[in-house]
Amino acid sequence: MAEASAANTQLLVRDLTVRFPTTRGTVQALNGVTFDLARGASLGIVGESGSGKSVTAKTLMNLLPRTAEVSGDVIFEGEDVRRLAREGREHFWGVKMTMVFQDPMTSLNPVKKCGEQIAETLRYHLKRDKKTALAEAEDLLAQVGIPEPGKRVDQYPHELSGGLRQRVVIAMALACEPSLLIADEPTTAVDVTVQKHLLDLLDKLREDRGMSMILITHDLGVARGRCDEIAVMYAGRLVERSAPETLFSDSRHPYTDALLRSIPRIDQPSHTRLEPIPGRPPELINPPEQCAYAPRCRFAQPDCLESIPDISGVAGMHEFACFHPANTDRGREALAGNLAQGRTAAGLEISGAGASS
Amino acid sequence: MSETETTGESSHVEAVLMDDDMVDAVKKKLGVGFWIAVGWLGLLVATAVLAPFLPFDDPDKLASGPARTGPSLDNWFGTDALGRDVFARTVYGARVSLVVGFIAIVFGMVVGGSLGMIAGYFRGRVDQLISFLFFTLLSFPGLILALLITSTFDRTLRTVSLTLGVLAVAPVGRLARAATLVFAEREFVQAARVIGARHFRILTRELLPVVLIPMAALALLGMGVAIVAEGGLAFLQLSVEDISWGVIINDGRGIRDLQENPHVALMPIGVMFLTILALNFAGDRVREYFDVRETAF
Amino acid sequence: MKQFILRRVAQLALVFFSVTFLTFASLNLVGDPLFNIVGVISGIPDEQCEAVERGEMEDTQSSGLNLGDCALIAQAKAQNNLDKNVVERYGIWLSDMMRGDFGTSFVNGDEISDIVKERLPVTIRLIVLAQTVALGIAIPWGVASAYRANRGFDKASTIGSFGLLSIPNFALGVILLYFFTLRWQIFPSRYENDGWWSELKALTLPAFTLGLGLAATYQRLLRTDLITTLQDDFIHMARAKGMSDRHIMYRHALRPSMFSVITVFGVNTGALIGGALVVEQIFSIPGVGTELVEAVLRNDPPVVISLISVVAIGFVLINFFVDLMYGYLDPRVRTS
Repeated sequence: MAEASAANTQLLVRDLTVRFPTTRGTVQALNGVTFDLARGASLGIVGESGSGKSVTAKTLMNLLPRTAEVSGDVIFEGEDVRRLAREGREHFWGVKMTMVFQDPMTSLNPVKKCGEQIAETLRYHLKRDKKTALAEAEDLLAQVGIPEPGKRVDQYPHELSGGLRQRVVIAMALACEPSLLIADEPTTAVDVTVQKHLLDLLDKLREDRGMSMILITHDLGVARGRCDEIAVMYAGRLVERSAPETLFSDSRHPYTDALLRSIPRIDQPSHTRLEPIPGRPPELINPPEQCAYAPRCRFAQPDCLESIPDISGVAGMHEFACFHPANTDRGREALAGNLAQGRTAAGLEISGAGASS
Repeated sequence: MSETETTGESSHVEAVLMDDDMVDAVKKKLGVGFWIAVGWLGLLVATAVLAPFLPFDDPDKLASGPARTGPSLDNWFGTDALGRDVFARTVYGARVSLVVGFIAIVFGMVVGGSLGMIAGYFRGRVDQLISFLFFTLLSFPGLILALLITSTFDRTLRTVSLTLGVLAVAPVGRLARAATLVFAEREFVQAARVIGARHFRILTRELLPVVLIPMAALALLGMGVAIVAEGGLAFLQLSVEDISWGVIINDGRGIRDLQENPHVALMPIGVMFLTILALNFAGDRVREYFDVRETAF
Repeated sequence: MKQFILRRVAQLALVFFSVTFLTFASLNLVGDPLFNIVGVISGIPDEQCEAVERGEMEDTQSSGLNLGDCALIAQAKAQNNLDKNVVERYGIWLSDMMRGDFGTSFVNGDEISDIVKERLPVTIRLIVLAQTVALGIAIPWGVASAYRANRGFDKASTIGSFGLLSIPNFALGVILLYFFTLRWQIFPSRYENDGWWSELKALTLPAFTLGLGLAATYQRLLRTDLITTLQDDFIHMARAKGMSDRHIMYRHALRPSMFSVITVFGVNTGALIGGALVVEQIFSIPGVGTELVEAVLRNDPPVVISLISVVAIGFVLINFFVDLMYGYLDPRVRTS
């Protein structure tokens, strides 16, 4: 499996680390992130804000502020992306790899007509003349399911609804037929009723064009049915990575486990109590040499506070970074011990509720 | 690209950082530059006030040295075409320029400030009327309005100062109005209203002290503007019939003067530049220190 | 938008009347209007002129015109409708002026409309050139300092623009004149107009005198607005689309960041008009400013108030068009 995928691998990320020096210390935004993406596949990156999922996307897209210190390798279709960035390669981002942002209300230029903004990409990268580019823009608007595309071309973003705007953004991203699309919380800012339509649209476009996709979301449910693989991030690290089915039925990392408990699930009886995750996201400046999740973890043991667990397991199948994984004997033992004491090794007070696993 | 750009992730991080940075921000300082500026202004005012008692030449004394000489030990700023001492003239010019600037801005503060506060406090019709007055005043190019007034009346120090004061009314008034609008909504004013304080008392005891702070910053900047405007009038030969910086510079700007003894114009220009710079800098620091956002001058 | 324009037009009309009335009042409400117009000869008693009319006396000539004093007084009275009341006079004066009839100077008998036609274009060209210089410098300067905000170049720019803002324009004019004309002799010392090239050369230093300080103002505003705009998502989006930094700065960020500059553009045109008066003096440019000053000095109020009205009306109109510019800059204004 690993052998077979190597030839088919489109994106290779190895040990990606990003730090931001600030007045108060260095922010460790990303730590040793490693993953692959096969051609035409889709990867979901899940995590709460501050987990590093957006930093990952921005690193790939060369959108980090100049002050960021980056190390590690990013290889896209055989090309070293970080070197391309240093050399100021043109017609790469926006052509082969593009991105859709969270908020369609703000990600379109308010003073340019929608058609113009799409056409601009075509003119800039593919040197189309103005007329052809506008015609293509109209065609793209039709492809993303915008009614009356001819009329929309001449409208300004503020004249469209949020859902339509996000479709315009998607059309814009697709203009140069990219082979990888990064969607950063593409549905978070739009109306719940249009979320599904947009996600379905992205799925369909991906399949039609054989494009691969990285879907960034804080919502495990969104990633579930649409991704070939899900990577869970916490405090700048990848903590668990597997196929969605495995993740949902047999999660290992206590953070994933907690995430699953915090969202409603169809396979559970209604009125099952949802459990919030205690505590706050960790500090990223000078973090202590320990598992970043330990202070919030119900499973935390003394060894969790002494070193940082590496991500390990069967590459491409199921990997996780935990000393006392959930749904294993080690984990159950740890949890039982903590429950008996009423507190974890990190001092978090816990009670029996929800100890079903 | 630009480091002011922050990614969503890092701005989140910055938001976390903010708490401590804010603590530092409270300990803001006016800075060394502010005190240097104030020092220069203080020296200037002292010299101007004490000029008659200091061993300077009479600014109008002809042949105080040989005509058209450059700066020397006897004549620090050299002499002009009539042999008058440029340094003495600059010092005496400061008397007029500073007085004009001071009276103008005081007039602007008193008239504009009162009108602005009344507009901001009572709102409604009164506000509309006063705001329109400000708008009309601002619709006149400043120097043109000054020219209209000085050409209609006379060119005494009083008229020129008050004319420039009229120019300051609208900008100061707009600032006072905006500040009053904001502060009138605050609890301490509301509380005064509730206990039945009279309007006049609220305006003078509650609002005036807080509105004065942003106005003070504007006053420093405005004084610079008034001094420059006086210089402009002097160039049009419509300013005071006395020595002011504008008058001296205008005297020395003829082609022949400029060619043969440029110091006659350039020396007072230097002093004037430093003064305006000091006023602007001090005003800017005060504004930042008190975190005043609006500047209308 | 329609309502917005209507409101602005109403405001424009009100301001227009206030400004013209204020100007008119300076001639007609302060002191004796006849004295204001013709000067000392207004003291000639009416009986004396009646006697002249009856042919009993000879009309003396104290003015430089080929008219007798009494004829002059009669003409001034007729031209300014001094037999009517102030409001009527204002109405007639205003409507005459709207038709381009400004009357004549009572000092030298020149048609004021000829003066306006001759002088105004020079001043307009100077002001347009000054604004062009200001924007031409401020836009690349502001973009460059916002692009790397708080770095070396930006910090140096802050000091530079602060300094420029503290130099009075007449002082800058004298300094530029001294170096560029007298010492290095790059620019002519007198205004010449043998074709556009010679005029451009003659107007270059004055335009820089007026434009440099303005450039500093614009640069500060543009820099601040650009820094805000650069944080916007659509800039990230444009970068994700793979546009070059240059393309993004000028094609995406610049236009939404021009609001403050446009706002002060109108107001600053007023400062420019005032500045132009002074700068025309320094560089001896035969514009409205020099004429205005000459008219004031030779005590020629009809010329003074006509020129001031023209300038003030122009200023009001410019600010009106600046307001309409918002609609172009931000399509959101157009629909709201």
